[in-house]
Amino acid sequence: MTDPAQPPGPRSVRLIFTYDGDEVRLLQQQPVDVAISGFDLPQEQSPGHHVEVRGADDRVLSRVPIRATMTTSAEVFPEDPSDPITRTDLPRAQGAFTVVVPVSSSAEHVAVVRIAAPTGEPGVEAVGTTELARFPLEGGGPR
Amino acid sequence: MTTSDGAVIGTTQVYGSAPRNRAFNIVLLAEGFTAGQQAAFNTAATAFVAALRATPPFDELSPAINVFRVNVSSTDAGADDPVSGGGTGATARTYFDATFGGNGIRRLLLVNQTTALQVAAAQVPEFSLVLVVVNSTIYGGAGGSVGTYSLAGGATEIAIHEAGHTAFGLADEYPYYAGGNETGHDHHPNVEPGEPNVTVNSNRATLKWRWAVASTTAIPTMSNPDCSKTDDRPSTVPAGTVGAFEGAHYYHCGAFRPEHNCKMRALSVPFCRICRQVIWNRIGPLGTLPARAKTPISVVARYPEHLDVFAVAADGRTMSDWWNVNSGWAGWFHVSGGIASPGGTGAPVTSIARYSGHLDLFTVGADNRVYSAWWDASSGWSAWFRIGDLVVRPGSTVNVVSRYDDHLDLFTTASDGRTMSTWWDARTGWAGWFHVSGGVAAAGAPVTAIARYRNHLDLFTVGADNHVYSTWWDDRSGWAGWFRLGTLTCRPDSTVTAVSRYPDHIDLFTTASDGKVMSTWWDVRGGWANWFQVSGGVASAGSPVTALARFTNHLDLFVIGGDNRIYSTWWHDTTGWAGWFNVSGGVGRAGGQVAAIQRVTNHLDLFTVGSDGLVCSTWWDSEGGWAGWFPLGIT
Repeated sequence: MTDPAQPPGPRSVRLIFTYDGDEVRLLQQQPVDVAISGFDLPQEQSPGHHVEVRGADDRVLSRVPIRATMTTSAEVFPEDPSDPITRTDLPRAQGAFTVVVPVSSSAEHVAVVRIAAPTGEPGVEAVGTTELARFPLEGGGPR
Repeated sequence: MTTSDGAVIGTTQVYGSAPRNRAFNIVLLAEGFTAGQQAAFNTAATAFVAALRATPPFDELSPAINVFRVNVSSTDAGADDPVSGGGTGATARTYFDATFGGNGIRRLLLVNQTTALQVAAAQVPEFSLVLVVVNSTIYGGAGGSVGTYSLAGGATEIAIHEAGHTAFGLADEYPYYAGGNETGHDHHPNVEPGEPNVTVNSNRATLKWRWAVASTTAIPTMSNPDCSKTDDRPSTVPAGTVGAFEGAHYYHCGAFRPEHNCKMRALSVPFCRICRQVIWNRIGPLGTLPARAKTPISVVARYPEHLDVFAVAADGRTMSDWWNVNSGWAGWFHVSGGIASPGGTGAPVTSIARYSGHLDLFTVGADNRVYSAWWDASSGWSAWFRIGDLVVRPGSTVNVVSRYDDHLDLFTTASDGRTMSTWWDARTGWAGWFHVSGGVAAAGAPVTAIARYRNHLDLFTVGADNHVYSTWWDDRSGWAGWFRLGTLTCRPDSTVTAVSRYPDHIDLFTTASDGKVMSTWWDVRGGWANWFQVSGGVASAGSPVTALARFTNHLDLFVIGGDNRIYSTWWHDTTGWAGWFNVSGGVGRAGGQVAAIQRVTNHLDLFTVGSDGLVCSTWWDSEGGWAGWFPLGIT
C-alpha cells in the first residue's frame, strides 16, 4: 500500500577534509543524495573525532564520527596469515578523510571536534570536547 | 608522479542493484594499471566481490551492497618500491602516487588519500568506502580513510579488515603493537575505547556486548596469566562463544575482546559475533522492515523534535528506528539482540520515556518470560534482562505506565490468564509479580492501564466472559475489585483502549464481538455511560482502536477496518463524532494496529504494517492535511 515517495528530510552534504596533525582544512563540499543511518548519527556522546553540524547559535544539530583516521600509527599486514598484524608509528598524523552530514534548514556551519575518552567503566559520559576547526556550510543559514 | 600520470577512464557497477542513495556503496579505484592493463583490474574487482560475498555477514547483507570499479589508467605499471623500505628501488608514474615502503616498511602500501577521495566523490558521489587496488604482486596494503591492497594472494583480506575500521568503526583486537612480546604494552590504559568491539571493562552487568553473553559464560572468559607477553593459549571455550577475552587493542592485559578470534584480530578468520552485529547495524538500516503481520508498533516522543519507533520484524527481532528533525529517519536496527515471543499474534515491544534522555522497553521473549531493556543517553542500549519468573501467555503484551519519573508499573497476563502486575521504583528496584484483584483475562486480551494522577491507576481488560472489566488502585485504598462495565460482549482478544482527556474523565474504546467499534466514558460527576457504536465503524477482526486526545475537547481514533483499509474519525465537543474516512488510501493487515502520536500541537504521526508487510508511516498537520504513506526506513 505504500507510496515509494519518502517524506521530505534534511539534505546531505559530503565533506572532504585534509589534516596535518590537528590542523584541518575543508577541501570540498558536495551535496549528495545519501541516506545517513543512525549508525553514523550516534545519540550517545562517544569519544573520538567527529564532525558536528551546528546552527547559527552554535547549537549542535547532529554529530557524525570520523573513523579510522587522524592517527599517528599505521597497520602492517603479514604475508602469512598466521603471522601477527602489527602497527608502526608514523612521524605525524597526515592525510584526508570524508564524512557525509545531514544539513537541515537550521544548519549554518560545521566543526571538527575531538571528544576525550572517559576513564574507567563505560556509562560515564565522555568529557572534554576540543574544537579543531570550523567551516561555514555553502548555502548554510536560514532558507 | 601525480594525476598528470594517468586519467580516469570511467566507472562500472560490478555488483548489486540497490538504490545508490540507500546502499552501502564500495568504490574500487585502479592504481598502477596502464591503459592496456585494465582487464587485470577488472579481474581484481571481480575477485574482490567474490571474497566479500564469501565473508559473513556481507553474504546476508549483499542486497544492500553495490560495488563499483573506477578504471583509471596510469602512465606506468605498479607502484614505487623504494630501497629505504626494503624494496627494489623501482619507481612508477601512477595516478594515485602509490608507494610501498611507507615508514620504511615494505608492506605498508600508501597512496594519495586526497586524490582517491576526490575521484571517488566525482565518480560515485554516494560512496561509503574507497579501496585502491594496486597493480603489483608485492604483498601490501594499508588502512585509514582510504584502504589499499595489492594483487598479491590473500591481499583482499587486508581490504576487508580495513573496511572494518573505515566503514564500521571497529577496533583492532590483536593484543600487541609490534607483533608480540614488546615492552610498554603490558597493560591497557584505564581509558575506555570508543569502539564497540574492545573494552577495558570486564563487569558482566556493564559489558559493552553483554547482550550477546550467555549467563553460563564466565566473565572474564580468559585472563592472561603473564602480562609481560601475549596469551597464545588456545580457547578454553567452544569457538563462537561470546565472553571477555583478555588481550586486545594493542595490549597484553587490561583490555578485552568479545571472542577468542576475529578478523579484527587476525586475517583469514571470520568476524566475531559482535563485529558481525556492528556491520549489520551499519548496512541493515538502509532497508525497510518486513514486520510481523499484526505487530503492534510502539512510538515515543522523548522531545518534540524526536521520535523513537519500536516494532517486531517478521523473524521476531526487536527493532527500532528513530527520527530527528535535523537528520531524518535513522533506519531500522536490532535492539540488543532481542527476539520477541512468536506466540499468538506475536508479542510487541512496548516503550516509555520517563524523561528525555531515557527509554524503557518491554516485551515477552521466546521463552514467554517478560524482558526489559533500556537506553540512556549516557550509556546507550542495555542488554535485555528478565523481570522475575512469571510465565505469560505466548505473545502477550506488556503494558507500562509511569506515574512519575522514578517509577514504572507493568501489566500483562499470565499463562493461565491471570491479570498480573509488578512495579519498579528507583529506590527499591523491581518488585515481584502479583495477581491483580483475582482478575482473569480472556485469551488474547491485554491489560491496559492509565494513570490519571500520580497516586492512581485505572485498569481495563476483557474478562473470561468476554465482557469489559475495570479495577483501580489508589495509594490510600490499594486495589479495588474488578467490576464489569455494562453488558457489551467483545471479541476475546479485544483491546480496551483508555484515554483521559482530563483527570476526572476517561474515554474507552474497544471492538464488539461483531467488530463494531464501541465507546463509553466515565466522568467523576456522572459515572459510567452506556456503550455506543462510534459512527457506524467496524474493525477488522483483532484490530484494536487507537485513540489520541490532542486537546481536552478533541479525540482522534484510528483502526484497521473490516476491508483492511486504515480509517480515522474524530470527536470534537462542539460537533460530536465525524464519519470514518480512509487515511491517504492506506491499506493495512487484517487485525493490525495503527500507532499514533502527537509530538507537537496540530501534528500527528501514524505507523502501521502495510498490506505489503512493511512498517509504514504517514503524518497529518493542520496546514497540509494528510501526507501519503511511505515505507519506514531511512531518509
